[in-house]
Amino acid sequence: MSRKKTPRSKGGGRASPSSALPPGQGNGGARGAGRRLSPELPPNGAALPGRPSLSNSGEFYDVAFKVMLVGDSGVGKTCLLVRFKDGAFLAGSFISTVGIDFRNKVLTVDGVKVKLQIWDTAGQERFRSVTHAYYRDAHALLLLYDVTNRASFDNIQAWLTEIHEYAQQDVVLMLLGNKVDSTQERVVKREDGEKLAKEYGVPFMETSAKSGLNVELAFTAIAKELKHRSMKLPNEPKFKLHDYVKKEVRGSGCCRS
Amino acid sequence: MERGEGAARGAGVPRVDLYGFERPEDFDYASYEDFLSRYLVVLTRRAIKWSKLLKGNNRVQKSIKVKRYIRKGIPNEHRALIWMIVSGAQANMEQNPGYYNKLLEGEKNDMLVETIKTDMNRTFPDNVQFRKTAEPCLQQTLYNVLVAYGHHNKTVGYCQGMNFIAGYLILITKNEEESFWLLDALIGRILPDYYSPAMMGLKTDQEVLGELVKMKVPAVAELMDRHGVMWTLVVSRWFICLFIDILPVETVLRIWDCLFYEGSKIIFRVALTLIKQHQAFILEATSFPDICDKFKQITRGPFVTECHTFMQKIFTEPGSLSMATINKLRETCRAKLLAQG
Repeated sequence: MSRKKTPRSKGGGRASPSSALPPGQGNGGARGAGRRLSPELPPNGAALPGRPSLSNSGEFYDVAFKVMLVGDSGVGKTCLLVRFKDGAFLAGSFISTVGIDFRNKVLTVDGVKVKLQIWDTAGQERFRSVTHAYYRDAHALLLLYDVTNRASFDNIQAWLTEIHEYAQQDVVLMLLGNKVDSTQERVVKREDGEKLAKEYGVPFMETSAKSGLNVELAFTAIAKELKHRSMKLPNEPKFKLHDYVKKEVRGSGCCRS
Repeated sequence: MERGEGAARGAGVPRVDLYGFERPEDFDYASYEDFLSRYLVVLTRRAIKWSKLLKGNNRVQKSIKVKRYIRKGIPNEHRALIWMIVSGAQANMEQNPGYYNKLLEGEKNDMLVETIKTDMNRTFPDNVQFRKTAEPCLQQTLYNVLVAYGHHNKTVGYCQGMNFIAGYLILITKNEEESFWLLDALIGRILPDYYSPAMMGLKTDQEVLGELVKMKVPAVAELMDRHGVMWTLVVSRWFICLFIDILPVETVLRIWDCLFYEGSKIIFRVALTLIKQHQAFILEATSFPDICDKFKQITRGPFVTECHTFMQKIFTEPGSLSMATINKLRETCRAKLLAQG
């Protein structure tokens, strides 16, 4: 009955031994047991150009970051991850995520190999006491709601409170309104998502794990931002995540403004 | 011996198992068939023993003999009955006639109902009996059991993971009300508070396992510590799902046989066996993700598929494991967690 299709990884992951950024000043540390959750990824991302590391799946990479998917139960976190990782949609063949798990994907950003260690979490509220211990080491958080589920949108504020409490202050955050392929069932307008995102100053886009809309972009944008933060060259212009997202995002229907 | 082998080969191994689960694409039919040919002999022998024990009156008393019989596996046709009896679910059901139906007919908590509905399509999509198109479709049964339970035990309500457990109970008992009472036996009595909102029992038992590994497989404990891997990351699903979707179905059922009779200690026996048996393999890990990966791999392959041998191992491999030790560890771990806030 196993659904595990993840290929067995051979080769051991190698830690990237230096960080290009000063250590994180996260405020979430107070709660944890003082134990780092993923020591191979220093708090603000490790950059070591010129000496690539071997990722767990045997792929080489230059920098590695930890990204977490959060949001209410059933908003499509696992599906988004699988769409990004394998390019497939898990129509009716996925199970509720219990606990926490992660998968790696290496992507190339401006010629740099960026490994994203993407953590998928259970959305149900009671699991948060288990999962928020992992926020502290996250470099980026993708916060999802389901455009066909009003409650999942209304809960975004609560999620943001949780994130502010447990994640690092400089965590890269992005708001995603998922399942926009379900046009008939949509109850949260794109404008509502945009407004909320603006209020909190976070980049926003609508996605569909089913059609693939903006899925690649969401992760690429995050990877670009993290890569630029950790290894900015002296003469390089500052990467502006908001502008990049605005420029690249695609609308869900025919009438995108 | 030959008879069993012949039967297995002749029958072949179907694409869908006895319980309705489709076998995964990469399922190793050859080695499974090989195992089955040997296991059928065991099953036949056990079936004869059990029918002698039950002698048609379908009652058992808890005893050393019954405990030994259960450790060797309850035949599938008696499984529901024995689980019901040894867990006390049967007695509870008989003492509360009509209670289950009253729960179903009563007023519902909308939030609870919504949460349960979210998981309906996400419970065993690989089981033909849980498909929307199945006739009868077990999704409705599952929904009823979970909704009833959530209203029966309001402190717990519904916690993800319970959907899988209730699903297994339904597959085995083929009876809604019995599944409800067995779920109550597990969550209300056999397991510590794994599923309540604070999940204290779960957090405690994860730490308890950590302590037991420190005592019994210190090198692995040291490795986990060195790489900062929290036990919750690798074992939370083992506890919450009681090995469903972690180990093969038949192995899970054999574990549950003992769980219903002997209690939650069995979970530690299984976990420790998996870890101790694969100690050298786990110690090859050189990084955090590597360790996580190893912990997934140790739950696959012939060692766990060969459920009969596996069940023998869980009572020998971890060594002595008294309830007193576990209770003491639970106490200290719980206190430590509470102190951490």
